[in-house]
Amino acid sequence: MSYKVTEEGNIATIHLDGEIDMDVTEKAKEVIFPHIDAGKEVHLNLSNVQYMDSSGISVLIESHQKGLEKGTKVIIKDVSKSVLKVIMMAKLEQILNLE
Amino acid sequence: MSETAHQDHIEKKAFLVNSSSLKDVRSFCREVFEKLQIQEDLKDELVLAIAEAAQNIVKHAFKNSASPTELMVVQISCENNKLQIAFYDRGTPVDPKKVKHREIDNVKPGGLGTFFIQEIMDAVEFKDGKKPWINHLVLTKQL
Repeated sequence: MSYKVTEEGNIATIHLDGEIDMDVTEKAKEVIFPHIDAGKEVHLNLSNVQYMDSSGISVLIESHQKGLEKGTKVIIKDVSKSVLKVIMMAKLEQILNLE
Repeated sequence: MSETAHQDHIEKKAFLVNSSSLKDVRSFCREVFEKLQIQEDLKDELVLAIAEAAQNIVKHAFKNSASPTELMVVQISCENNKLQIAFYDRGTPVDPKKVKHREIDNVKPGGLGTFFIQEIMDAVEFKDGKKPWINHLVLTKQL
């Protein structure tokens, strides 16, 4: 998994790239969580993530919940068809902020 | 159920029991499913189910601490359009009664892997592992 972060005002946009599985979840959390902890609105762009398993879904849930705790938002953007299918299988499309 | 008749085929491969093997498990599955000409959407689902089962071996049967040479075997077979995926490992014996996913409406991290496997596959069965194996999980799906 690789990533790119751009910050503009209070918005941190994080582009993840590659496959998100158990092997990379810690790295994904290390990239995402500090921005949420800093109170930033996080835009998580998943257009280049073609595979995500239950561990990756857990990172999305944890990020979402952390955002609520910190009084900010995590918005998941440009989800690929294959990842959206997994999000829907987990019945999270109404829970997570998807755009 | 697919209308395509899939060729009978059997293939197996051993992987080291660690999280970095999961991408190799997925690659192996994708290669076999290409040969079986399984359609793209179903292929993605099957790869997910198999990778989740392999992840459960790493995470639960070995509690993320397998020896560096420990192996798990994944075998994919197709006979009369019935797909069977078998997993063999030498981790802690699995008690099938304790294998359950979290309540899907109780949204929290974790507990989804088994749910995905059950959603995707027709049957999930733990069989007695024959020596040298301890656990033998079999997933089946009618194609």
